[in-house]
Amino acid sequence: MTADLMDPNDWADVTNQIDGEFGDGTTKALLGGQAPIIIQRGESNTIYLIPMDWIGRIEEYEGYNIRSMGVQMGDLSKGRFRFSLQILPALAKITDRVLVVSQKGAETFTYGRSIIKESVVRLGSAMKKGQRVLVLNERLECLGLAALSIDGDRLGRLAKEKLVAKNLVDIGAYVRGA
Amino acid sequence: MSKKHLRQRAKEIAGEYGYLSYMIERYLSLWGEDDTLRFIEACVRPIRTAIRVNTLKTTIGSLVSRLESKNVTLERIPWLEEGFWADFGTGSPGALFEHMLGYYYVQGVPSMTASSVLDPQEGEVVVDMAAAPGGKTTHIAQLMNNSGTVIAIDSDRKRIASLESNIQRCGVANSLVVRGDSRKLSHMGSTPDRIMLDAPCSGEGLIPLEPSRKTSRSMADVRFCATKEDELLEAAVNALAQGGTMVYSTCSIAPEENEYVVDGVLQRHPEMRVVEIPLEFGSPGYVEPYGVGLDSSLSMARRFLPHLHGTEGFFICKLMKEEESA
Ligand SMILES: C[S@@+](CC[C@H](N)C(=O)[O-])C[C@H]1O[C@@H](n2cnc3c(N)ncnc32)[C@H](O)[C@@H]1O
Repeated sequence: MTADLMDPNDWADVTNQIDGEFGDGTTKALLGGQAPIIIQRGESNTIYLIPMDWIGRIEEYEGYNIRSMGVQMGDLSKGRFRFSLQILPALAKITDRVLVVSQKGAETFTYGRSIIKESVVRLGSAMKKGQRVLVLNERLECLGLAALSIDGDRLGRLAKEKLVAKNLVDIGAYVRGA
Repeated sequence: MSKKHLRQRAKEIAGEYGYLSYMIERYLSLWGEDDTLRFIEACVRPIRTAIRVNTLKTTIGSLVSRLESKNVTLERIPWLEEGFWADFGTGSPGALFEHMLGYYYVQGVPSMTASSVLDPQEGEVVVDMAAAPGGKTTHIAQLMNNSGTVIAIDSDRKRIASLESNIQRCGVANSLVVRGDSRKLSHMGSTPDRIMLDAPCSGEGLIPLEPSRKTSRSMADVRFCATKEDELLEAAVNALAQGGTMVYSTCSIAPEENEYVVDGVLQRHPEMRVVEIPLEFGSPGYVEPYGVGLDSSLSMARRFLPHLHGTEGFFICKLMKEEESA
């Protein structure tokens, strides 16, 4: 496994996908002063953000099996970008595409379950079905990522046990995987 | 006590408490019978759970009040600002939101002490030579406030997965994780300011946590570990920058894996010296275990022992590499 600077075209693709869902300028804000690199693992490529002054040192570790560097941003597989858990708290500071859930909703979500109407405390009405949203608890701490199953403006008309968002990844994975 | 008498007594005690005889023989000659029995008693008492507040993600005050509101009883560990003994009642320490959010790490008191003894500074290059599952790596990153670089090495693929999970959960941004054999550290071409070598060991200090350890390892296993520890420490010493600091630690109480190993390196490397640990904990390292005279500076190393400190057994030694005079 080796680390390489990210191809600018691939980065442009990632930027389009993220900004498309979370708003223009989101990727730039996430990047901050860091550089994106790619570490290949089997089929998929994992993107990490590293401090600029590490770039010159990537080669130092040639011959070693580099597993990770800096902050894990996400995976790029067959052109499709998926966020990693580690970057989500930073994303939560930038975007307003969020779904706030109750204490009970937070508990079930971090068991890997999806979110039903009863658990929703807040969801922007402009958000559309299929879109990815950050899931926050009432303290606005980031619990993971979900995909909306409904348009935001339909929430009011939904019965309380109806599905609102599908769990994509949640922080319970840190303890489930351990 | 004559050798023969000691063997006989060791056999009796070992039989009564379910240990291997060679272990008790060594304890009797290190500590005498009273302390050996105290040690055995202490090993059946549970070790108190402890947590380290992850200041990369929260503050000590805020986490303390959140956990207390969930009926977790906390008590400060006197020599560790971010360390607390924690009683979670019937709950599991890993199941709370605050844990998933990376606000704390469940960690043995000796382990968190080891990274504090290393005292990494912001902006430095630090190597953690036996890093997984990352208790010390994440602590080191926190002490460096996510600046500089922590190079975390481990040889075990599965354990590296846990290391990476902990790094992410704790919000560590300054780590570089490498899989490989740390005995080849000098091939990396980096001269770290500090090195943490929390060496793979026989685990003889873990009896209170793993009772099966009373019978699972032979003296040959201890010797095998000592050889590997010696090789790892040699690699650390060779790679460390001049003027650099390192910590050698194990969760073994065996002098063969601790004082003997450090003594060997002191003999081979006049540029290395044991330095004082400016924190109040544990008891001094041994300078004459089993009657064998070792470098007297080893008294500056520290030991945690179940019967004296209520923790698992552990060894911590801080070393410095002198600058070469021009
Ligand atoms: C005592 S554990 C380390 C615990 C870790 N420092 C922590 O605080 O979470 C020792 C580790 O050394 C690793 N190890 C064993 N031999 C090694 C070698 N030659 N090079 C690198 N790592 C090695 C093992 O896989 C194991 O994860």
